[in-house]
Amino acid sequence: MRDVYAIGIGITTFTRLEYPLVEIAAYPGLMALRDCGLKKVDHLYVANMGSGRVNNQTGLASAVVDHMSLTPAGAETIENGPASGASAIKQGYLAIASGMHDTVMVVGAERMREVNNLDATDFVATLTHPHAEYIYGVTLPSLAGMFTRLYMEKYGITSRHLAMVAVKNHANALMNEFAHLHQPITLEGILDSPEAATNNPMVSDPLRFFDTCPISDGGACVILATKEVAEKLDKPKIKLAGIGQATDTHAVHDRQEPTDLLAVRQAAQQSFDMAGLKPNDVDVAELHDAFTILEIVESEEVGFFKKGQGHIALEKGETQIDGKIPINPSGGLKAKGHPVGATGVAQAHEIVTQLRGDAGERQVKNAKVGFTCNFGGFGNNVVCLTFTREN
Amino acid sequence: MELNIYAYKCKRCKHVQYPYRTICRKCGDNDHNEFDIVPMSKNGKLLTFTHLFTLPADYETSSLILGIVQLDDGNRITGQLNIDNPRIGMKVKGDVQIVRQELYEKRLGMVFSKT
Repeated sequence: MRDVYAIGIGITTFTRLEYPLVEIAAYPGLMALRDCGLKKVDHLYVANMGSGRVNNQTGLASAVVDHMSLTPAGAETIENGPASGASAIKQGYLAIASGMHDTVMVVGAERMREVNNLDATDFVATLTHPHAEYIYGVTLPSLAGMFTRLYMEKYGITSRHLAMVAVKNHANALMNEFAHLHQPITLEGILDSPEAATNNPMVSDPLRFFDTCPISDGGACVILATKEVAEKLDKPKIKLAGIGQATDTHAVHDRQEPTDLLAVRQAAQQSFDMAGLKPNDVDVAELHDAFTILEIVESEEVGFFKKGQGHIALEKGETQIDGKIPINPSGGLKAKGHPVGATGVAQAHEIVTQLRGDAGERQVKNAKVGFTCNFGGFGNNVVCLTFTREN
Repeated sequence: MELNIYAYKCKRCKHVQYPYRTICRKCGDNDHNEFDIVPMSKNGKLLTFTHLFTLPADYETSSLILGIVQLDDGNRITGQLNIDNPRIGMKVKGDVQIVRQELYEKRLGMVFSKT
């Protein structure tokens, strides 16, 4: 297997975008080509979850490859729920490592705000079990709400801990020009003051409005290439050193220990093993905080903290940008936004930015090892990536 | 006629699974559809719940209480709760009712209330 490097990156602002999905995909692709100086790539993967349902457009990769005038390069759409982005990066890795291609563009793009909030929530809910969950009105926020209640009961997490994640990630997003939410929030405003109940209404108790990510449009791109191609560029060499993926039961109630996210644990372990690293080698991480509880629990399951200790580390500030293990310096899904198919690619975009030392105000000092956790379903399909800076 | 939700008992290892999957999760050794269909218990204890305020467009109510119940027969099921103040660990009993009204179809599922 050949080594694989991330040589070019691009991203759109995450927000409500008033241009077509193909352009949401093409724009970050163009930025990434400029970033690495390539004009063409051998292959294109487009990560997207909902174009067929939400945007009435199927065969997205075929549309994007032509829109970017990259034909006759091969192109495929990768759909793996909210983990589509990291799954597409994995496919790009395999294509290069196997020797089939030398350069691969991986684009993630989603346009969810073409429909109203109810339809967007329902679209994402279609990934739940059709007979055992979806028919009951189960949505992703409701699965997260039930999970949070159990976690609170078992490990002593409180609404204050959840709010602390939101406050941290909103503060980080203020330093990210591409983030959806540029809105500073405080514990007083969303939790302690008399106005908090109005500012921060219940969504799926115990989760409130500021415990959930926004519904965003957006696109991101990472171009992967062989070592030979990467060495010709005048940029820090960022290696995609580890990939892990694991699945879990489709219906959440079917899991033996309902407070475990086993797929996160296994995917992270595989990714670290492949890279020859350990969780405490990581300098910066992007974890899939579609709900605030997930940042805390994933930080435990990937091995940064012991099970049930993630909220203690959060209290101590260990996950802040200047902390022991900075988590979601981009603002995370919580504040950067969550255009579902694009999220895994956007996480990789942030890690490459951090490892290059290009993250400006939100730069994690001396970041050499970066990690992403892209969480599909409610933890039923998880892809973790480990990146290292070589020079 | 009393309505039930059914689970699937593997004819080889006797493991009961819900929801249905083609191959038994425990032994992984049965042929396609080699299960006995068994009605699930309707009594159990509430494992967790949530009060959901952002509903899919199919619902006309403003909120819905959803929960996961540990049934007396050892299975677990996700269902709706018709309980004002649910508590983890409380005893509940289920009844099969309409849980979702889609455009052309009514979906039946388990709705739990206090025992």
